Parts: sequence; structure tokens; C-alpha cells
Amino acid sequence: MSNSAPGVVGAKHWTVGRIARITVMVIIAAAFILPIIGFIAMAFRSQEGVLAGTDGFLGLGGMSWDNVVFSWSQINGFGPGGGGLFTRWVGNSLVVAVIGGILALVAALPAGYALSRLRFRGRKVLLFATLLAMVMPNTVLVIPLFLEVNAIGAVGQLWPVAVIMGFFPFGTYLVYIHFMTTMPQELVEAARIDGLSEIATFFYVALPISKQVIALVAFFSFVANWTNFFLPLALLTSNQENKTISIGIQELIGASPLFNATVAAGLDVKLYMPQLALATFLSMIPLLIVFLTAQRFLIRGQTVGAVKG
Amino acid sequence: MSSSTLATKRTEPPAAGGRASTTPRRHRTRHAESRGAWILLAPYLALFLVAAAIPIGYAFWIALQKAPTLVNPASGFGGLDSFITVITDYRFSGTFINIFSVMIVWLPLMMLGIVGLALLVHASPGRFGSTMRFFYFIPGALSGIANFVLWVYLLHPTQSPLAPLWQEVGFGSLKEIVTDGNMPMILTGMLFFQGVGTWIIVVNGGLNGIPDEIFEAAKIDGANAWDLAWHIKLPLIRPWIGYAALMNLAYGFQLFLEPYLLRQISSGAIAGEWAPTQLGYAFAFTNRNFPAAAALSIILLVITLSIGVVIVMKSGLFGDEKEKKR
Repeated sequence: MSNSAPGVVGAKHWTVGRIARITVMVIIAAAFILPIIGFIAMAFRSQEGVLAGTDGFLGLGGMSWDNVVFSWSQINGFGPGGGGLFTRWVGNSLVVAVIGGILALVAALPAGYALSRLRFRGRKVLLFATLLAMVMPNTVLVIPLFLEVNAIGAVGQLWPVAVIMGFFPFGTYLVYIHFMTTMPQELVEAARIDGLSEIATFFYVALPISKQVIALVAFFSFVANWTNFFLPLALLTSNQENKTISIGIQELIGASPLFNATVAAGLDVKLYMPQLALATFLSMIPLLIVFLTAQRFLIRGQTVGAVKG
Repeated sequence: MSSSTLATKRTEPPAAGGRASTTPRRHRTRHAESRGAWILLAPYLALFLVAAAIPIGYAFWIALQKAPTLVNPASGFGGLDSFITVITDYRFSGTFINIFSVMIVWLPLMMLGIVGLALLVHASPGRFGSTMRFFYFIPGALSGIANFVLWVYLLHPTQSPLAPLWQEVGFGSLKEIVTDGNMPMILTGMLFFQGVGTWIIVVNGGLNGIPDEIFEAAKIDGANAWDLAWHIKLPLIRPWIGYAALMNLAYGFQLFLEPYLLRQISSGAIAGEWAPTQLGYAFAFTNRNFPAAAALSIILLVITLSIGVVIVMKSGLFGDEKEKKR
């Protein structure tokens, strides 16, 4: 793209159209970024500073580490008998998101490979069902899933949540596309001629060229699991100890004097906007870590090209 | 996909020919291939059953049961009673009207935002364009509850950086901001902020797939940047636009988190059964009327599945037709 600069219309001089385009884009970018900066700043502010309104532009002037220490004592103090619920919830989220992600990988890798490179009856139907499940919003299934889990008496436990999260049709689709684009059919044929079974071909030929798609599936499924709200709400609300962080933050909001003075009055901890912002910010850190780890795979695109020979 | 067609052309021995061959040896490999495929599919199929097929089937079965009441605790076959309960519920049509009232504002703005920003990014080659695209994407990283808390911060009439604006308009409390009348605007803001970035990247990917020669040819013919965008890029990315519109439409029917939490922070200024999913939640958890909850899920499932079928059939994004030629 960049080396075509000389030919691009208006690339060298400041026409009205060019100025208008850049102005619009910058204003919209500011509208997207400034709220986030202000929100992160909020996590470092104090309720006193917020009320006094003396923290300056976006509250950036009121940021301090002491505020974070105090806010953390409030967040961590939430819960019966000295608190600690917040870390417990984060731990639960890690458990379901990681187990769900591993299950998604274990299921999606062989399935995506089989759908893309093997011929069998029912392949088209299965592919269609996968695509359909992928484009369907997942909250539509939450009530049926609740009824199912309720029928086996497992509401309030973490394992059904992790298992359900393991069903990740988008992951199967990603693997399907991966093998369609990077693994020539002749490689499968060659492996067959060499006497490898279909299963062995998957493990010894297909898997070793799948690093990138493994990272993609792991990333997308972890993010989806971590931010899932309705499923844990329906399955885990009944057991406060087993909540995930997304519905835990909902409980923190419900305990804030900003929104519910009566509930908040009965609590030792005070959760105002800085505390809620810090709790949200902390709950995003695992996502940030996963994003930074997977980033090079996400950005590099889909060029693996290792199998051209 | 092109690599796979190339591969078949390069490998000439009959073994690679595929369907036509019917020698006994071929038959055996076919059989082994099919058995291998099902073994490889087993974990995925098990999860598919547990997390989709069985709950859907079970929901159908539950929906056909009678709801047990205090007078008559026995459950039994109730036919379509639960569907009638749901459809005649005084809140039922309201929840759909609510969803439509949001979609009327949100979908056009969303599509305009996605297409407009994707075209602007595409018209800005080099570092500036990619930086802007990255900025537009950042809010998308805050999905779900994080985006919600961010919006609570923005909407709060005393704590928000927009507080002077809210007070100017006359909003003194969240209860005055979160009203039925303002819901379309609030949800549009939340959903746009959270969703537009990802879709810009998708549509931008479509734009990047257009060969440069097309633009070069148009420029030689005297097309300016506006002509390029309107007469060339826009028609070429129509499939992506349709895909984005349908995906967002389906998304609209399953709104839950935002209205559910907006009620919580506004001390009940909006109804607890504002969206259809919330009504289903109320049937299941407040009324303990599982047949009605299941029936409502099935209604929503039929709507979103129909949209889904259109997406899968119409969008050429899945490369399945090309695959058939193999």
C-alpha cells in the first residue's frame, strides 16, 4: 500500500477533501480514545477528588498510587468474613476460560482438519451446522442450557460452564479455513501413500503446521469465555463463591452507593466510581496479557507457507 | 483455496482424482478416510451435542410440557400452551418493540459508521490510516461488562467527563438519563462503541482484497477519491456490508447484558423485562415457569437461526462453493 504513494490522488498536496478526511478521522478517533483514557484515569483517582471536581482534564490530575492502594483495599474487602471474593472470582474466570479454551482447541483442531481435508458422508451438513452455530448469537441458547444443567442438578458448579464454553464453532471454522488455505491436498495424499493412518496424518503432518491457528483459537476462545456474561449469570448466580468476574463486577455495581444506597449502607467497604473503574481495569489485565502474547500471530495474518515444497 | 486447486492440478496420478475413481483399493481408502474423519470429529461432536443439540431438543420437549402450578403441581403434556402463554404475555410484544426501537437507530448508524470509517481508513494509506484503524479498534477490546462500566462512567451525571453537558440538558440523576425514551440512544452508543472497530477491520480486509489495477484504471479515467469510494469500492464490498448488517441484526435480538444492567443502575427506571431475553430470564428465574422460558427461547432461536441461514447461504465468505470443485 505504502509504495503506491506517488499515484494516490491528493497524496502530496493539501486539498480540501484531504483536510476534511483527516479532520473527521482524528475527531472520531479522539471520541473513541478520550473516554477510555478518562476511565483508566478514574481507576487511579479518589472519590474525594471526583466529588471536588478538582482533578482537571479527564481527571488526569487526580491520579495517584495511594488511591489505587485504598481502592484495592475496598475491592478486596468485599465479601463475607473479611472479603477476598474479587480474587476468588478472577480465579474462577481463569479456571473456566482456560479449561474452556483447552477443550475448544482439543475439539476444533481435529474437527477443522477433518472438515477441510477428509471426505465423508455428512461433511456438508456438519459444516453448515458449524457455520450456523458460529453466526448465531450465543445468548439465545442460555436458557435451554440452563434447563439442561438444571436437569442434571449441576447449577452453581463451574465444570458445566467450562464444558459449554468448550463448544466453540468459530474455532472449528478458523481451523477449517487454516487447513483449506495452507495445507495442500497432495500433502494428505502423500502421507496416505507413505502408509500413515488418517489419525497419524493429523498428528504428524497437520498439527506441526498449526501453531498460528492454535494461537488464534486459544486467543478468541479465551476472550469469549472471559467476557461471557449471560451463561455464568444463569448458571452460577446461585453460588456466590463460584461466580466469574464478569458477573462479580455486576455484584460490585449492585453494592455501590452510587446506584443502591440501601445495600451499600450495610457494607464495610465503599465502592464508588474509582473503585468500580479499578475493579474493571484489573479484570481486563488477563485479556491484555493474552492479547500481547497472541499479538504477533494476530497481526502476521494467515501466511504460513511452510508447506509449499 | 487457490493453493488447493493448484495442488490437484499438479498431482496427476489417478489417486488424486477423487470422486471418479471406483477401484477396490480406492474403496478401502475411502472407508478408512471416513472412519478417520469421524474419530477426529468425535470430541467436537460430543461438545456440539452437549452445548447445542441436546439443550435445543430438551428445550423443545420442555416447551411442550404443562407448567406446574401451586394448585396443580403435576406436570404433563401441554401441547402448545406454553407458546400461547408467552405470546399472550402482556410484556411479549413490548420486548420486541423495544428491540426494534433500538435497531432503527442503531443499525443504520452502525452500518454508516462501519462503511464510512472503513472507506476513510482505506483512503488513507500508510501509517496514518493504520494508526486510525487501531484507535477505532481499541474500544472493541472492552467488551461486555467492561464496556458497560465505562458507559456508566460516561453517563453518570456528576462523575462523567460529560457531566456539564448532562446538567445543561437537565439530567440530574441516572434515573433521569436511563429512561425508556433514551434507551435507543444509550444502547446505540454502547453497541456502536463496542462493535464498530472489529467490523471496520473486517470490511477493510474486503477493501484490501480489491486488486490495485482497478483503482489505477479508474484514476486514468479521471475518477477522484470520492468517485472511487462511491462507484467502485462500495459496490465491490457489498457482500461484506450485507454480512455485517445481518450479523448485527441477529445480535440485536439477543441483547441482554446492557438492558439488564441499566435497570440495575437506574433503580428500576426501565422494565426488568425490557428485552426478549430478559423476559425469558424472568420466566425461568422469577416465575419458575420453565416451559414458557423454553418456548420463548425457541421463538428467539427460530428468528436468529433464520437470519443465520440467510447469512450462511448468501455470503460467499465461507469459501464452500469453491471447495466443491476440489
